[in-house]
Amino acid sequence: MSLLALDDVHVHFATAGGLVRAVNGVSLELAVGETLGLVGESGCGKSTLGKAIVKLVPIAGGAIVVDGVDIAPLKGERLGEMRRKVQMIFQDPYGSLNPRSTVGRSVAQPLLVAGWKKDAAAERVDTLLGWVGLPVDAKQRYPHEFSGGQRQRIGIARALALSPRLIICDEPVSALDVSVRAQVINLLEDLKSEFGVSYLFISHDLSVVEHIADRVAVMYLGTLVEIGGRDQIWRNPQHPYTKALLAAAPVADPKAARARQRTILQGELPSPIDPPPGCPFQSRCPIAEARCRHDKPALRATADGGLAACHFV
Amino acid sequence: MARIEIPRFEFVARFARNRGALVGAVLIFLVALTAVLAPVLFPTDPLRIVGAPELWPGEDPDFPLGTDSLGRDILSMIVHGARATLLIGLCASAVATLIGVTIGAIAGYFGGWVDEIVMRTAELFQTIPNLIFVLTIVVILGSTLANIVIAIGIVSWTSIARMTRAEFLALRDREFVQACRAMGMGNGGIILGEILPNALPPVIVLSSLVVAGAILFESAVSFLGLGDPNVASWGRLVGDGRQLIRSSWYICAIPGVAIMVTVLCLNLIGDGLNDALNPKLRDR
Amino acid sequence: MTLPLEVTDLSTTLFTRRGEMKAVDGLSLAVDAGETVALVGESGCGKSLSALSIMRLLPDPPARIVGGAVALNGRDLVTLPEEVMLAIRGKEIGMIFQDPMSSLNPVTTVEKQIAEVLMAHGELGRGQARARVHELLELVGMPDAARRLDAYPHQLSGGMCQRVMIAMAIACSPSVLIADEPTTALDVTVQAQVLALLKRLQADAGMAMIFITHDLGVVAETADRVVVMYAGRKVEEASVDALFETPLHPYTVGLIGATPVPGAARADRLADIPGMVPPLNALPQGCAFAPRCARVMERCRHERPALTRPAPDRLVACFAVEQG
Repeated sequence: MSLLALDDVHVHFATAGGLVRAVNGVSLELAVGETLGLVGESGCGKSTLGKAIVKLVPIAGGAIVVDGVDIAPLKGERLGEMRRKVQMIFQDPYGSLNPRSTVGRSVAQPLLVAGWKKDAAAERVDTLLGWVGLPVDAKQRYPHEFSGGQRQRIGIARALALSPRLIICDEPVSALDVSVRAQVINLLEDLKSEFGVSYLFISHDLSVVEHIADRVAVMYLGTLVEIGGRDQIWRNPQHPYTKALLAAAPVADPKAARARQRTILQGELPSPIDPPPGCPFQSRCPIAEARCRHDKPALRATADGGLAACHFV
Repeated sequence: MARIEIPRFEFVARFARNRGALVGAVLIFLVALTAVLAPVLFPTDPLRIVGAPELWPGEDPDFPLGTDSLGRDILSMIVHGARATLLIGLCASAVATLIGVTIGAIAGYFGGWVDEIVMRTAELFQTIPNLIFVLTIVVILGSTLANIVIAIGIVSWTSIARMTRAEFLALRDREFVQACRAMGMGNGGIILGEILPNALPPVIVLSSLVVAGAILFESAVSFLGLGDPNVASWGRLVGDGRQLIRSSWYICAIPGVAIMVTVLCLNLIGDGLNDALNPKLRDR
Repeated sequence: MTLPLEVTDLSTTLFTRRGEMKAVDGLSLAVDAGETVALVGESGCGKSLSALSIMRLLPDPPARIVGGAVALNGRDLVTLPEEVMLAIRGKEIGMIFQDPMSSLNPVTTVEKQIAEVLMAHGELGRGQARARVHELLELVGMPDAARRLDAYPHQLSGGMCQRVMIAMAIACSPSVLIADEPTTALDVTVQAQVLALLKRLQADAGMAMIFITHDLGVVAETADRVVVMYAGRKVEEASVDALFETPLHPYTVGLIGATPVPGAARADRLADIPGMVPPLNALPQGCAFAPRCARVMERCRHERPALTRPAPDRLVACFAVEQG
């Protein structure tokens, strides 16, 4: 049984400009011990999807199943049980910690909410801070005394507090400097091998996802356009958007950068309030044809075991 | 990692950097000190007739600030009046802050129709001229100290509610609040434990200004003769002296200056608090 | 022959309540026409303040240039009065900023903002402005350029705003262009468009370009030469190929190791640099990188390495490299 299963999930936001279909029918599964990378550009709905999984935003349709339990109707004790299983790490290390709470209080919070006794929680906080490589005296200090990378470690300690089975990592390293980013990525990988936790790793940075993920899902304008194994996505992408995304990603190797043939995707992301009819990618797609403009392609199996939503695969 | 001074110490340093605020704080401290020590400094009832009427300040060394039309010691009345005036100011501000923060927090946190109802109600309050509103409430409820405090609190909460609401609106979608929600913390815990401490600094600044406003309201009410007859606040002293304003203007002027200086100092303190608490000005 | 831009020993200090901080400490660099020099480093390394120093756009207080020279086509900018700088900025040297949305005036149309630059430098009169602005927008690849002339910034996407910024920066054909993290706020596909645009414009006009970024991928794609900065100082300079092939300074080695390269064989762990960038008001004695350095020696802790020339076109400031 998969740890997380999404079935045709929809998330809508009512805005002044109209209804935004931020997530528009996404289905995917995440196995125990797996890291699934979720990539896409701003506004593709990847963060919204992550928030829907921890019930930070309500879903408008479909089902989110965690460990065999549909989370939509959960209340009270059952909801608490689900929350213990799924935790979240946020993007902004400056915004994700209460500036007026000590680090110890922030890390202990999920424990206290889950009903732990004060001293048991305090003991656990010491252990957690050790795991993420922070000194024990960090407990009494305030977030502003720490650098971005250290704050992200505090956020990770908080997410680990209740020994979750799945952690939603929402752009956890995007705000960090290169050298510190590597530290945090390594920490996440160490914790995974030690505790067997699974990650849904949301990022716009393809090179980071490529490094950390086992499988990769690509989103565009609220829909899943391709999902597959990491190597398959990188070596043999099927969907034209995945190809374009890979071609656009800068490569830290000047010779390879010069050598590669690439077509730069033209145009910009359409507004999610007024998405193009048919295939969401058709307005920028280099190979779009007449049927793409009215016929929305479904996800179909590709030759090497992935899924892609394109009429031409 | 940068060693940063303890925030509390930093707060004092930042506050003190604003010279005006420092002067204001020192003067308010002196006013509060005389108010507390009033029974020691002037053990006799300030409303007792102790000398000749209408002695000008300096005329008799026993009464440095002179006497009023009945021969009461003005200095004694000012010192005792400080008690009433500051008490009314602080209590009214506390009432306004309590109402304002509660309502503003609920409106800002929950949003939607709750917010609509609360904010339209606040607007309704704001359409009525404040002084007339206070007078109306005092006339209906009766001129006691408690009623005056409540009346001023009722007209002053709207600005605090707006400020609190704005802060809550900005803070409720911050990631640390989302994190608390994701771990299943209840709304009460999030409002009181997480958002409120971050929302308070600008509210505290506003509350200090509401104290000043309340003192002015009370003065106006007393000046118009609607104050509590058993309390000799500064406003009442101004009101009592107004018949003699042509001949013995000092009877009005001395408590008037006391009110002015106190209100000015409170405004300066508000300014200083703003400098010290406003994170945008930090690290300049 | 004078180069378009030659910076010599530039030092900029921040005068704050917490003390004086050397944000830029003796930076020298030269950019030839048609060349792109990337200024690389992590936050707080002084790369953005270097650019602002060159442009004389420092926020003063707290920042002030305390020494050195910035020669733009042979003329030193550091000593020029502000009125003369006004005429030079935008005409001889242009700059593009990280956040295009906030760099544009929200209440003025695209046409007016670009025309203002042109008219300020006497490039043309009021009547010709619209046609010239339209031409510029076409040049920077603005989709549907004619219709965007009367648009306000909020009606444009981030990528389009950056195109407008670029149009403003190149409107008077400056000989030097400084781009400060111009694509950091943009999506990957739009970033690729903007990088390609900058390359094309530079090649066409033979501009000298300083490209400031923290992203080594972007460096590899755009730069001819790379200057690596750490804690306000230049620690290494090399051609882009040499730098990625044989990085010398341990910090550069660390940065490259910490950047995952897609398609490369999967390493189990990224090479990370322990610790973090020291704050400028608490720089260690000696080499600023010593506390994080894998090759640290006793000497590094109390003596600061000067730049040496291990190969004809390379510079590096490290005792360990000197020793070999």
